[in-house]
Amino acid sequence: MAALDIPFRAAGAGLAPARPIELPAIWVDGSALDQALAACGGAHESRSGDLTFRFPVGCKVMIDSAVRLLSLLNQLDNCTRRAVLEFDEGEAGVMGYLDRMGFFDCLSPNVGVHPYRPAVSAADAYRGRNPGLVEIAAIGTQVRDQELPNRLTSVLVEACSDRQDVEALGGAAWLIFAELVDNIYSHSQTRLDGFAALQVYPRGNGLKVAVSDSGLGIMATLRPSLQSQHPSLSRLSDLDLLVEIFREGVSRHGSQRGCGLKGAAAKAVKFSAELEVRLPQIRVQLTPSLSGYRRSTARCFQGLPLIWGTHICFSFRLDSPV
Amino acid sequence: MGRADGWGRTQGREVYQKLVDFVEGHPGAIVIHISLSGINRTDISFASEAVVELARRYRGAKGFCLTDLTNADLIENWDAAALKANQPLMIEATDGRLQTLGAEPSPGNLPAFTFALERSSARAAEFAAATKVSITNASTKFKQLWEQGFLLRRQNLAPSGGVEFEYFQIR
Repeated sequence: MAALDIPFRAAGAGLAPARPIELPAIWVDGSALDQALAACGGAHESRSGDLTFRFPVGCKVMIDSAVRLLSLLNQLDNCTRRAVLEFDEGEAGVMGYLDRMGFFDCLSPNVGVHPYRPAVSAADAYRGRNPGLVEIAAIGTQVRDQELPNRLTSVLVEACSDRQDVEALGGAAWLIFAELVDNIYSHSQTRLDGFAALQVYPRGNGLKVAVSDSGLGIMATLRPSLQSQHPSLSRLSDLDLLVEIFREGVSRHGSQRGCGLKGAAAKAVKFSAELEVRLPQIRVQLTPSLSGYRRSTARCFQGLPLIWGTHICFSFRLDSPV
Repeated sequence: MGRADGWGRTQGREVYQKLVDFVEGHPGAIVIHISLSGINRTDISFASEAVVELARRYRGAKGFCLTDLTNADLIENWDAAALKANQPLMIEATDGRLQTLGAEPSPGNLPAFTFALERSSARAAEFAAATKVSITNASTKFKQLWEQGFLLRRQNLAPSGGVEFEYFQIR
């Protein structure tokens, strides 16, 4: 399996430190994370070898941005960049939450943490005890966590127990988790781990399941084979191609493959789940309609700060959709 | 399988190889039943790699019929896997009914397929006589259904001394 070839950049090299990447003092979802990165010109794009991420008082990181941030930080470390996280509230704030989710267990030891890196992992201490979350699970290429889809499904079923369709939802959710995680094992082509996690947001009447990997991204692996495998799709824009991947199933291995993501999306649509896909420089939010995810109901953001890989988040309602 | 869940392409390929070994070890078996008893869940990628690929590989020579598959959610996953490969896949329900997942016969071939499902075996001449189509037309329909993996066939000597094909369902 080929290793991801992230452009090498020597750490430091006499460049001035960049200004900190300031996360906002609000709930930080994928969109807010992108805005924070863009405000500083991006992390990978920075000319400095030293990068500081600052988490002010009141900053709350949602699970989709937490796993993306984790992937980004490990990517920066892999490029020999020195990253430091500064938590203004210490363990009393978002740092405590990230510790509980297992963020620091999966973070490269070379990434600095202020005021300190937790000595004992709260995720290890309390793993599995909160029915409202599934701690961040590393998805490596060597060892397969066979129980991960079941753990994610159990929490989702418990959280959505008020829904009339909870049994069918459980089956559909397992399929979604199984396909998304297997996609990372099978396709991400990187030595960096991918991640999956789930968080229930009772006050927001929802839950988010996020998976993130540091591979080349769906487009980079698919585009080279389009001309030979799916010539009719080769001229589509990234957005149109992405919608096609989830609507029709497109694979670099030919027309008989590629049913996994399509099947996952079909199940998600059935249960009115929203889907967000973040690729290295674009992010697409897909809202389900009667005929599935459609281009006409997609919101696309292009020219985003670089984060390698494919980052997918499904958002489910806790109660039955009206 | 060693587990109650069939998950992912890697496990699917492992199961595929075991199934191929079984099939090769039983050259006389034309129709092979694959029971999903004890299987809680299977995703589309697993179904695709383990069984749909198997059915594609042996299409026309051997047929595979799933049994003990009653969960609607699971059936949907197997259907999606078979459909993507344009491969029909048979399920025998607990009441003995045969259900086809994945590819469907063309509208033109559907009557011939239904005719074959209603009897233990069918010949083109019988279908031609029952529906008033020509024997050549009936032969073409059955041949297409065989090539596409909906039916199996065996070769017999016709009373006239020529070759006649007897088509039968995969169960």
